[in-house]
Amino acid sequence: MDEKPDDRHQSIHATTPVVGSELTFGSVTDKISAIVLKRKTPFGWFVGFAISFALFQLMMLAIINLLFKGIGLWGVNIPVGWGLDILNFVWWIGIGHAGTLISAILLLLRQRWRTSINRFAEAMTLFAVAQAGVFPLMHLGRPWLGYWLFPYPNTMGIWPQFRSPLMWDVFAVSTYATVSALFWFVGLIPDFATLRDRANNKSFRLVYGMLAMGWRGSARHWHRYETAYLLLAGLATPLVLSVHTIVSFDFAVGIIPGWHATIFPPYFVGGAIYAGFAMVLLLTIPLRKLYGLESFITMRHMHNMAKVMLATGLIVVYGYMIEAFFGWYSGNQYERFMIWNRMHGPYAPYYWALILCNGVTPQLLWFKKIRSNLLVLWLISLVVSIGMWLERFVIVVTSLHRDFLPSSWGFYSPTQWDWAMFIGTIGFFFALLFLFIRFLPMISIFEMRTILPEAEVDEG
Amino acid sequence: MIQAGYTPPRDLKRVSTLALAVGALFFALLVFGLLVDRTQFFHAYLVGFIFWIGITIGSMALLMLQHLTGGAWGLIIRRVLEAATRTLPLMLMLFIPVLVGLNQIYTWTNRAEMDQVPVLREKAAHYLNPAFFMMRAALYFAIWSLMALLLNWLSLQHDRTADRRFSKRLQMISGPGLGLLILTITFASIDWVMSLDPAWSSTIYGLIFVASWSLSALAFGILVMSWLAKREPMNAVVRTSHFHDWGNLMMALVMLWMYFAFSQYLIIWSANLPEETVWFVARKHGGWGVIALGIVILQFVFPFLTLLSRAAKKSPQRLGMLALLILLTRVVDVIWLIEPSFNREHFHLSWMDLVAPFAIGGLWIATFAWQLQKRSLVPINDPQLEQALAAHAGH
Repeated sequence: MDEKPDDRHQSIHATTPVVGSELTFGSVTDKISAIVLKRKTPFGWFVGFAISFALFQLMMLAIINLLFKGIGLWGVNIPVGWGLDILNFVWWIGIGHAGTLISAILLLLRQRWRTSINRFAEAMTLFAVAQAGVFPLMHLGRPWLGYWLFPYPNTMGIWPQFRSPLMWDVFAVSTYATVSALFWFVGLIPDFATLRDRANNKSFRLVYGMLAMGWRGSARHWHRYETAYLLLAGLATPLVLSVHTIVSFDFAVGIIPGWHATIFPPYFVGGAIYAGFAMVLLLTIPLRKLYGLESFITMRHMHNMAKVMLATGLIVVYGYMIEAFFGWYSGNQYERFMIWNRMHGPYAPYYWALILCNGVTPQLLWFKKIRSNLLVLWLISLVVSIGMWLERFVIVVTSLHRDFLPSSWGFYSPTQWDWAMFIGTIGFFFALLFLFIRFLPMISIFEMRTILPEAEVDEG
Repeated sequence: MIQAGYTPPRDLKRVSTLALAVGALFFALLVFGLLVDRTQFFHAYLVGFIFWIGITIGSMALLMLQHLTGGAWGLIIRRVLEAATRTLPLMLMLFIPVLVGLNQIYTWTNRAEMDQVPVLREKAAHYLNPAFFMMRAALYFAIWSLMALLLNWLSLQHDRTADRRFSKRLQMISGPGLGLLILTITFASIDWVMSLDPAWSSTIYGLIFVASWSLSALAFGILVMSWLAKREPMNAVVRTSHFHDWGNLMMALVMLWMYFAFSQYLIIWSANLPEETVWFVARKHGGWGVIALGIVILQFVFPFLTLLSRAAKKSPQRLGMLALLILLTRVVDVIWLIEPSFNREHFHLSWMDLVAPFAIGGLWIATFAWQLQKRSLVPINDPQLEQALAAHAGH
């Protein structure tokens, strides 16, 4: 769209500036901080926030009802003991991975284009992890006893089972949430100071001032800051792999055909990043338009994100192929039945929809024309998000509902309360996002300044 | 078509001759082995073949990766990787003995035995049979040859004409090419190595090969670069920052290999199904257990700890030594993957297992050194060359 075909080589190899050339130190600060401090809140914001807040209330209602009546409200039962709850957990936590990848791994790989989207993607990570946490916590049945999951000396004689990946999940996810929150907050500190200095309103100044924790922007501050930020990036990097690897162990260490596959760790991590980038695109494309951020988030960002989505999508497709092939190659009748049942059993439409959404549609991204068309790119991201949800449905439900003994087969369908919880978390997620874009700078101001042409210093 | 200034060093000719002599000597030993113990010969031969084809194909994977991502690191090592892919015709020839020894190597060639096990009967009928095995191998070699031809030809054309269309085309084929390569490596690893235990399977197996073949190729490339860095003309081209980048990539591959290998181990150990654990049981008892631990230490723990140090990554000597260590460990890893399939009951290691990698390696390195002399050591017309050669190059 904004690149001539001949520029292709250059755009890929990062020799051209990442952002619009008209930006300067001053205009960057003005433009981003104005969204929070000066610009009138658009009407659309109120509508969007109202809708998502209402959906959030639906989640609260679903939770209250659940606490009164119990897990029986959900569709889970024997043989499908894990239904929408675990699958939504996996879906949400996967979405978070793109944020960590963008903020930590791309930072370490010195991919400077990440700067325009990392703040936003990190916020998305944090909010997605919050949604993910809701499901296992509620599935406990008595969430107020959730602290029993932690190993602490007690008089009840209980101790967590350390050989269970579910236990590792508790540690992995809580570490993930903590590090993501810290990383996000530390990244925000210099920008809090900018907002503090620019706010005309006294209460804004007070709140941003407290959050800025006395930031003065001295050389010593920056020196310490850079070290801390890099260290946090180093800490966050293994989490991109470890969290979803452990989530995949939840399934893979069992002996259920369809769950017990050694390919699961890389396949899950690939899928998580895939879903995450789909969600980042799903959110940035409209936001960029609404707030006029085209010079910050350029077509180059869109291309790069689309390419990451394509690459991770191919990992997932590899997973489907390998699963199907080994289902047959293993020679094990249960493995063979599992694959047959996915393709021809009662949930076959889900399986084929998943192949269509995750396997076929993203192949369009091979074409530059399609990557340049934002509407199509947005639609593909939507399809991928749905596809990743279907993938988890297929993995969780079709593997469980027909196991080794035909006499114990069953069928699972989610109840209205399952759906209420799921839709409610989507509302909660968006409500948090709306608050974020209204009250915090959605693009990192100080990091943006470093990638401007103005910041180029001739070292020679 | 060698541009003045980047002419490969004359020493390469000596290396080629020396490698040929060593290869011939070890091959003579191996032929003696063939006369003594025909079965053992073929087992050892497979070890040597799998190790060296891994470097050929792994180089192709790295080559396409660098076309896709760009950057100075790939530009400087490109010609070494290209020369490594041009050993493919040799590897195709060296595949013939594997076909000759098919009955000695793969138990599934014995249909009568396979038909007695229900799980194996269908597999032997439709997949693991000599005819289909050869057809698939032909397909892998056809795909690999086509890719190697394209990658080398386009790169040469670009050197000659400086036409940007060629470098763009290289980039275009590398995306789908890498996908195709991962698929073919997966199925080749199933056919050639996993099917040694026809009843056993693991879904991550192909990815372990993708990671370890790429690791072999990079370690070999680094070794060659540290040799070239001491000589004209590359001593003026290669910078410590390039070694730093290669060191980082090696770190990534070392971790990737361990991640895949450990995932496989943990999942199989945890589920504890007899039909799966049998593979690890054969590779843990007797001396194999110690060897397995050694592989983990020398192919992960030690390189990982060493590569944490920036100084180690920036020193051509130290990185080169580490690469050599990883390469030697890779040989042991291939032996560990293959040899226990033949002797499940007791620990058995033949002198031929150690001779075969050197026999094939001699021929391989001779071919590689001969091919490396044919072109300029740096892709002279690459648009990024100037940046890569600049004093502050590579970030």
